[in-house]
Amino acid sequence: MRTVFAALFCSMLISSAAEGAMVTNKDGETAVLVIVEGESRMEVAIDAGATEMICPSGCFVTAPNGDRIGLQGEETMEIVNGSVIVK
Amino acid sequence: MHRFGKLTALLIAAWLAALTLGEAGRAAAQQPQPTPQAEVADQAAAASPVLPPAEEQLKQAERELKRLMDHVEGAKEDDTRLAELKVQVDELSKQIIAASVATRPRLDEIKARLDELGEPPGEGQPPEAAVIAEERKRLLAERGAINALTGRAENLSIESKKLANGITATRRALFSNTLLKHTDVSAAMLSEAITATVDESKALWRSISSWLTFAWNYKRVPFLSAIGLSLCAALIFLVGSYRLFSPFLLRHEEEEEEEPTYFRQLSLAFWSTLIPTMALTAFGTSSYFFLSTFNVLRPDIAPIIAVTLGMIVALSFVTKLSNAVLSPKRSNWRLVRVSDRGARRLMAPIFAMALVNGLDYLLGSIGEALGSPVVMTVARSFLASIIIGLILMSLAWIRPTLRPDEPFDAPGRPWPRAISLSLLLMGGALIAIALSGYVGLARFIATQIIITGAILVMVYIGVLTGRSVSKQGAFAETIAGRYLERRFNLEQVALDQIGLAAGLGIYALVLVFFIPLILLQWGFQIADIEAWAYRLVTEIRIGTITISLVGILAGVFFFAFGFVATRWVQRWIDGNIMARSRVDAGVRNSIRTGIGYIGLGVAGLIGLSAAGIDLSSLALVAGALSLGVGFGLQNIVSNFVSGLILLVERPFKVGDWIVSGTTEGFVRRISVRATEIETFQHQSIMMPNSLLINASVGNWTHRNKLGRSEIAVTVTYASDPRRVIQVLDEIAAAHPKVLKNPAPNVSFTAFGDERMNFELRIYVADVLTAGGVRNDLRVAIYERFRDEGIGAPFPMKIEDVTPEAALPEETDPSIARGGDGRERNGRGRS
Repeated sequence: MRTVFAALFCSMLISSAAEGAMVTNKDGETAVLVIVEGESRMEVAIDAGATEMICPSGCFVTAPNGDRIGLQGEETMEIVNGSVIVK
Repeated sequence: MHRFGKLTALLIAAWLAALTLGEAGRAAAQQPQPTPQAEVADQAAAASPVLPPAEEQLKQAERELKRLMDHVEGAKEDDTRLAELKVQVDELSKQIIAASVATRPRLDEIKARLDELGEPPGEGQPPEAAVIAEERKRLLAERGAINALTGRAENLSIESKKLANGITATRRALFSNTLLKHTDVSAAMLSEAITATVDESKALWRSISSWLTFAWNYKRVPFLSAIGLSLCAALIFLVGSYRLFSPFLLRHEEEEEEEPTYFRQLSLAFWSTLIPTMALTAFGTSSYFFLSTFNVLRPDIAPIIAVTLGMIVALSFVTKLSNAVLSPKRSNWRLVRVSDRGARRLMAPIFAMALVNGLDYLLGSIGEALGSPVVMTVARSFLASIIIGLILMSLAWIRPTLRPDEPFDAPGRPWPRAISLSLLLMGGALIAIALSGYVGLARFIATQIIITGAILVMVYIGVLTGRSVSKQGAFAETIAGRYLERRFNLEQVALDQIGLAAGLGIYALVLVFFIPLILLQWGFQIADIEAWAYRLVTEIRIGTITISLVGILAGVFFFAFGFVATRWVQRWIDGNIMARSRVDAGVRNSIRTGIGYIGLGVAGLIGLSAAGIDLSSLALVAGALSLGVGFGLQNIVSNFVSGLILLVERPFKVGDWIVSGTTEGFVRRISVRATEIETFQHQSIMMPNSLLINASVGNWTHRNKLGRSEIAVTVTYASDPRRVIQVLDEIAAAHPKVLKNPAPNVSFTAFGDERMNFELRIYVADVLTAGGVRNDLRVAIYERFRDEGIGAPFPMKIEDVTPEAALPEETDPSIARGGDGRERNGRGRS
């Protein structure tokens, strides 16, 4: 019984502790986000329906519709109609 | 209807707000005329609840960044300061992001509202209401303002990141510049250094002698009184502390003691190092203090005096410490196990190293005070590195180690190969580096080797202490151990466990204290170490997995708390509520166990969520595990569930007398997996719960403890059966523990060969007492039958036995059988 609990605990520890902001593209077309992290400004393309992990330690994101938002690094986001919605 | 009204109200409010704002805007527009776009944006900024504070935060961050940039510019050569600034810059980056994160909800609101308003009407469509157009315009402007603000924050964050990276680069360059500066070691350089040294020593002598002459001629009284006063202070300190700490110091009668305990040795080493050092420190500080108060010191002399005093204190400390640890004269007080000769020989290089380092430092500060040329610093470092290299190499030749069985005065063996080899290599490398011109590097490494070595020796002594505390029975000998024993009446085992914990605690303390010390020594800054330690306890990141020690500890703490609380609630409900309400013991047990499981589960959940583990992932894990459960853990899970059913349904409870298959006995404990049954022979049988659920279980004491019991009686055909039945009835009725209702009865069960078989059936209130009752009854039957002359109530051979001889022989087997209650009761209850 103890082994079961230990296994349960370990697997939860591993499965729960993912870090970084998750962004999912719910639109039908590829979305391009401009991400400013550290010193660099880079463009990240997210395919339709794809989910990506971005900026583990805080960044700024420019959505396809031009909105800019700041992220602390633990958010989950969706791209709907070109705008980023933070859950 | 209601909703519609709300919407109208909202629209009117929005319109009013827009109108007032428009008025305000127009009023403001009387002055310098901004562009209409900017005007709207300004209005929006004024109207938005989030923009002004975020704006303010950003402005502050901008100012802060500017300030930090200036500081970084000013501290280009100062590694410590740069490390601190880096931490501040990182903090600032976080603040900038936080400021823009705060605007996010408002942006979402605006977007949602804009979606509600819909697209502006296209060509040919009827125009929309002015209110809506106005609101859309306003919202769009605010959105633009927020975006512009975030853009600014973005740029600012880039700036601060650049600054942070710049600081790191500067620090790296600083480090390599200082260390890897190459100087040509040549005869010319050396001769130049010698000339400079001669000049400088003349200068030094001049300034010291002029100062001494001045002090002697003009300030004789203050000078002498300062020295006298500080000597007095040192003396008072020395005498006072010797008096105060005399129990900890070496007494004469102890000097020859065969085997002092390790603690005694340690405390002696500690105090005999500390007291003289403190006295000397008192002397140094007080003499410096008095000299400077009496204005005897001159600005150029003061640092030299201070460093000299400091060096003397440090040198005496090192000497005292090594003397205490190595104890070359008294081998039984030695803290480390080295030979007598080894201890004596180790003292010299240790003192020499301390002296070289101290002199180097002293000369360095003298050079600084006199403004000596750089070539002297180089030459000094060069010389010091080479001397330290030689000392290190000479250390390798000493033979201090002893085998465990050798006495202290044995000649000693060489160091282990690894140590002697590394000493030789380090010494050789130092000399080689110094000779090849990297004097700065050589000096740095030499200092590191010495101080790291000293710290490692301390760690070693700390580890030895930890080991000696955790040794069996050692803790009870210490002061703390004796106190605990007296105060709490602790057992030897408990003391031993405390000793073990104390030993582990000492290990932990040694690690926590000395690792940062070594890191500091290696040029890491306190700010760096703090940041690491913070990150170590809050988040350890391995790939995408983050583990937080604090979180886990909090989880464990909450779990422990929940566990203790559960036990407490259990005890409270059991002892207070249920005991007073006269609840049945079995029910009490079930409820207690149930509460235990629930409390444990809740504590587990709380602990998990406190540890920062997402409970929603539990579903995933449970899904994955259920397959495994289905295959491999089937039995365990089925037993667990059966245990729960046993607690709820209660076919038996703790204390019941049950029969299942061949197992019979009292239930002692119903636990998660198995039920403990204690047989009449006091053998404990762990019966898996699923067996008790699936098989038929007989319970003698299920609803009540009433039970029937039988006694077989046999008499010869010579007796009158009616009389026998009557006598048996009377005997049964006379016994106090035989129930009147259901009444006992006697049945004439069979015509046997040569004798009649009767059975006396009685009911008792507690089936557990049946054995004793049967015993009483048998004795009574025997006595009655003998008195009445009915004949023996048991089989016996009639034809060839005289009655006088038969009686004593044949009573035995029957009485012997009476003790076995199981056989008779096994068929007693239907």
